[in-house]
Formats: sequence, C-alpha cells, structure tokens
Amino acid sequence: MKEKVKKVMSNIFQVPIKDITDDASPDTITGWDSLKHMNLVLALEEEFGVQFSDAQILELLNFQLILLTLKEVGVRE
Amino acid sequence: MATLSYSEVQEFVNNSHLEQYPKLNISILRNIVVETIEPYWRYFAIKMGFNAQVKFGEYDNVFQEAVGGMGNVLNKDTDVVMVFLKMDTISYDLANNYTALSVEQVHLEVKRIKEYIAAVLAGIRRQTDAFLLWHCFDLPTYPAYGIWDSQTSDGQLETLRELNRFLLSIIGSHTNTYCVDLNLCIARIGANNFFDPRYWHIGRAPFASAALYEIASENFKFIRARKGKNKKCIVLDCDNILWGGIVGEDGFAGVKLGKTYPGSAYCEFQQEVLNLYHRGVIIAICSKNNEDDVMEIFRNHPDMVLKEKHITNFKVNWQDKATNIRQIAKDLNIGLDSMVFFDDSEFEANLVREIVPEVEVIHMPPQKAVEYRNMLASCGFFDTLTITAEDKKRGLMYKAEVARKDLQKQSIDIQSYYKSLEMKLEICYADTFSIPRIAQLTQKTNQFNLTSVRYSESDINRLADSDDSDVMYVKLEDRFGDYGIVGVAILKHFADFFEIDTFLLSCRVTGRGVEDAFLVECMKLSGKRNKRAVRGRYIKSKKNQQVADFYKAHGFEVLEVKSDDTLYQFDLSKPYPDCPWYFKDNNVRL
Repeated sequence: MKEKVKKVMSNIFQVPIKDITDDASPDTITGWDSLKHMNLVLALEEEFGVQFSDAQILELLNFQLILLTLKEVGVRE
Repeated sequence: MATLSYSEVQEFVNNSHLEQYPKLNISILRNIVVETIEPYWRYFAIKMGFNAQVKFGEYDNVFQEAVGGMGNVLNKDTDVVMVFLKMDTISYDLANNYTALSVEQVHLEVKRIKEYIAAVLAGIRRQTDAFLLWHCFDLPTYPAYGIWDSQTSDGQLETLRELNRFLLSIIGSHTNTYCVDLNLCIARIGANNFFDPRYWHIGRAPFASAALYEIASENFKFIRARKGKNKKCIVLDCDNILWGGIVGEDGFAGVKLGKTYPGSAYCEFQQEVLNLYHRGVIIAICSKNNEDDVMEIFRNHPDMVLKEKHITNFKVNWQDKATNIRQIAKDLNIGLDSMVFFDDSEFEANLVREIVPEVEVIHMPPQKAVEYRNMLASCGFFDTLTITAEDKKRGLMYKAEVARKDLQKQSIDIQSYYKSLEMKLEICYADTFSIPRIAQLTQKTNQFNLTSVRYSESDINRLADSDDSDVMYVKLEDRFGDYGIVGVAILKHFADFFEIDTFLLSCRVTGRGVEDAFLVECMKLSGKRNKRAVRGRYIKSKKNQQVADFYKAHGFEVLEVKSDDTLYQFDLSKPYPDCPWYFKDNNVRL
C-alpha cells in the first residue's frame, strides 16, 4: 500500500518517487496545495477503490495520515 | 475506453515528450473550481497530437475577465476558450431558493442572466476569435417544485431550459462558438456519479472524477472536429461484428441477425453504422472470408440493415488485415489516420494496431454484442461541427470513385480516360451557401494543401467580404455524380500582385487536372485585375509533400526560401499555362 500511495503522489505532484519520503507533507512537497490536494484525493480513491468522507478529505494532511486514513476506510497493508 | 486511472492519466501526461507537439492554448472562464479536469484535457490533447496549455481565469471572475478584459486570460495566442457557469454561483435564488420567488421575480432574474450571458459572450469576442465552448446550465435532478415542476412552465426546470435555449440561440449568431450540452454528459453517467457534494462544499468544485472524464471527452469531440482530426472512414469486420457467428461455418441461414435476440444487437449496431453513413462517414468492409459468402448475406439476407450500396469498398479475402486496410486507404485516397477499424478478434485488432498504428482500432468482444451500438455511438471520432449537403452525399461519391477506378483500368491512356469522365467545373466566389463547406475544407484538407492555413467560418466570411481578398471555390461534376465543392483558393491583394494565401483540393479529386484548371483561373483573375504577377507559397507540413513542386510545375519561379516556406512568383506578362483540354463547358463566374 505504501509504495502504491507514493506512486500516486509522485504522479499527481509530478516529482520523482524518491522525493516522496515517509514524512512527506505540503511542507516538503511544493506542488501540494489545496487544488492539487483534490487531484490527490480523486487519484487515491480511484486507485484503492474507496471513498473518504468530507471530514477525512481534510485530514489527509501528510503521508502518514494518508496511510492511516486508508486503513480506516478498509484498505489492507 | 476509460482504461487508465486518474493517476495513470497524470503519469501519461508527465511522461509525454510534449515539445514535439504544437501548443493548444486553452483559457477557462468559470464560476466554479474545475482545475481537477486538467490532466484529462492534457491527456486527450496528447492523444490528438497537441500539447495543451491550460490557463484558468480567477474563480468567479468571468464578467471582469470577459467584459473588462482583466487578467490576460484571453490573448492573441488563445486557441480555445471554455466557459463554465454554474447557476448556483450566478443566481443563488434560481438555483436554491426558487420556491420563494414570484413569477415576476423569476422573470427579472432570467432577464438579468440573459443580459449577463450576452455581455460575457460579446466581451470574449471583443478579445478573441478563438474556438469557444460554452457549457450549458445543468438541470437539477430534484427540481424545486418536485413532481409538479415538470408539469408547469413556471417550474425551475422550464426556467433553466429557457436559459439554455437562449444560450443556444445567442451562440448560433456567433461563429466558431458552440454549446457543450452538460446535461447529455450527466445523463450518460448519472447525476449521482457526476456531482461530488464533498468537494462542492469544501472547495466549490462540483464534478466527480467520472464527470471530469466525460466532460473532457465531450470537449475534445469538438476540438477534434475543429482541428480536422475527426475520422472519415469506418472499416468493419463481418463475422461477430455485423452478424453473430461465422458465415463460413454457420452458413447463410445460421448467422445471428434479425429482429429478436441475439441477432437484434447486430441489427442495432448496423443501424448506427448506417446513421453515420448518412452523416458522411465512408464505410468499408475488411473480412477474412470467402467473398461469395459475405456478398450473399449483403445481397440476400432479409435482415441486413447495411446494403451493398452503402459500402464503398469490400476487402473480403484471406490477406492480412493491415495490408487490406492500407489498400482501402489507397483506393479511397484517404489517410490511414482518418480510419477506424472494428474487429471482434483481439489478434486482428492488435495486429492492425501494431502494423498500422495510424489507424484507430476498436476491439469489440462478441460476448458484449449488446453494447456494440453504444461503443460506436460513444466514441465521438466521427463528430463534425456541421453537417453539409456534401457530407450527406459522400457515401455515394466514394462509391462512384470506385466505379471510376474500374473504368480507369479499362482506359488505355489517362487523358482519354479523363475525357470519358465528362468532367465539368464550376468556379465562383464564396457565398452564404458555400462558406461552411469552404471553412470545413480549410480545416480538414491536409494533403493537397499548399499552406495548410486553417480558417473558421467567421474568418472566411471576413475574407470574402473584404476588398483586399477573394475567396473562391471549385465544384466538380462528372458523369458518375456530383462531388460538390472540392477546392478552395484565397487570393490576397497587394499593390501590383495577388498572393495565393490558400490553395487546396479535396484528395478525392486530385491528379486529374482540376488543380490545373483552378490555378489557371486564379491567374486569369489576377491578370484581369491588372496585376503584374501572382505569388504563391508552399509551406511544408507533415502531409503535403505531394504539392511541394506544384507552383514550379506551373511555371512559377522561386522568389524566396525560408526553411519550410517557399515563395514563388509567376510573371503575368508570360502566357498562362493551359487549362486541360478535356474539361468541357466549365462554368466560371469570377
């Protein structure tokens, strides 16, 4: 799951996959603004076949929180 | 065809070498957030051979940008303008508070919005002539008055429809301007899949990801047609495409084709093909079969919707399909990139994809025969911005072309063959009836086109009206039929010479002297207006190699060479080249 998330983030933010570190957040990735956040959410939902609640969307604030929330909505490791 | 995920679409865009493609500058005026659609636009653009650069106007700043010209969203480089106006933002009352309004208040609000639309459209047009796609208002799924709403002309639905009708009518009075019917997009995937309330509330972004794909795909049907990249010819396999089963095994009476299941699915698909035929799409058959078996079905099966007369070219043999498709392109004198091939066999589909990648291939698995019709109807490859009288006759004209080729085989020398065709030309200035076709020809003629300049209808109108230019067309008729308008020339006037800005001919009629006769008339006209010379350019493109020496072959001399752009001149004190002798009774009105 971790690698898949990184792959998606790398595509959406247009940065090499190695730049998506385990502590990746809008502070470490320049392209991660509120508009691109929408693209990320769309991509993650489609890639993992899940749907976040509106509250969860706003909580996907960094890489670790994304992993956590994906687990919450039923994605396995 | 939505096989790539959103992330993969973005990856495809990231990994494409965009420098090789011409730019397509898209400017967006909107009162909603639509940024998430950008990867899809860029994806479809790349698929068509363009590098889309998208410029978003500020959120809810449409009026200022259109009428006030603020923000430089629209400029001279803009190729496409798209407008997204959501009723919720333009009028909270009409969208959300409808039941509280009196009839008079609704009326006033409608009037205000109409004026707003007219002002925005006029404002855009003051700034740019670019191709304009205006998305109509989406209709509510749960209208304000519930079930009563559909019964009354005072309902919210009817009010929004009235605004959409107004939009259509005002758009109809502008050229190069089209309405994208969002409600069709919604109907295809369902409103619940189209709108995403989460991001509507979080960020005023109404569209779900399925909607983004659907809208972008619809947008590019327009752009494909505008750029002349739409397809012209359907190539069909037979077994399990036009009928169920295999005629060579199941026999004439054994194939599935008829009014009831499962044959009804194939009839329905054939009807859709026939509908495209009547829109001007050429139909060819490419099937591995015994020709007699296939022809017997075409001629005698009572449930065939497609008849022999609709098919311009039958390639029924045991050769590989790539060779057959190449031959069809050659016979019909069309580009491989204007063909779409349908086959149920994955092997054949992949073979054609591999060997002739220019051809668009659609694989139709026979277990999904009931979906064939929609697979064809949804592809959008054949969409055109208008349907002209010529389009409607095209099938017949190509059929005649095949008959001509047969006659050609019998004729010994080519000139007597041309004479036997009894060709007759009509050469005239552009008029209201011919302008749509003239614009269409400038947009889609690639091979016999000296400069490949693309013009919209409004451009042609302006050039035709101007005292500094002439727009002329040539029509061709022969004993097999009427081709309609087949060529266009645009002459620009200078002090002592005319310059041929555009000279093109439909590839259906090249190589039989029409181009010679037409050029001679352009020269005569220049002489008649007391000009000293005629100039013409050859601007090299990927596809117009065949006309590289056109001017030279007609006695023009090279004046200037700039990389891919060569300027020629013909001194009118010299005698004109001859119009080919085998044209008779040409009707020239210049």
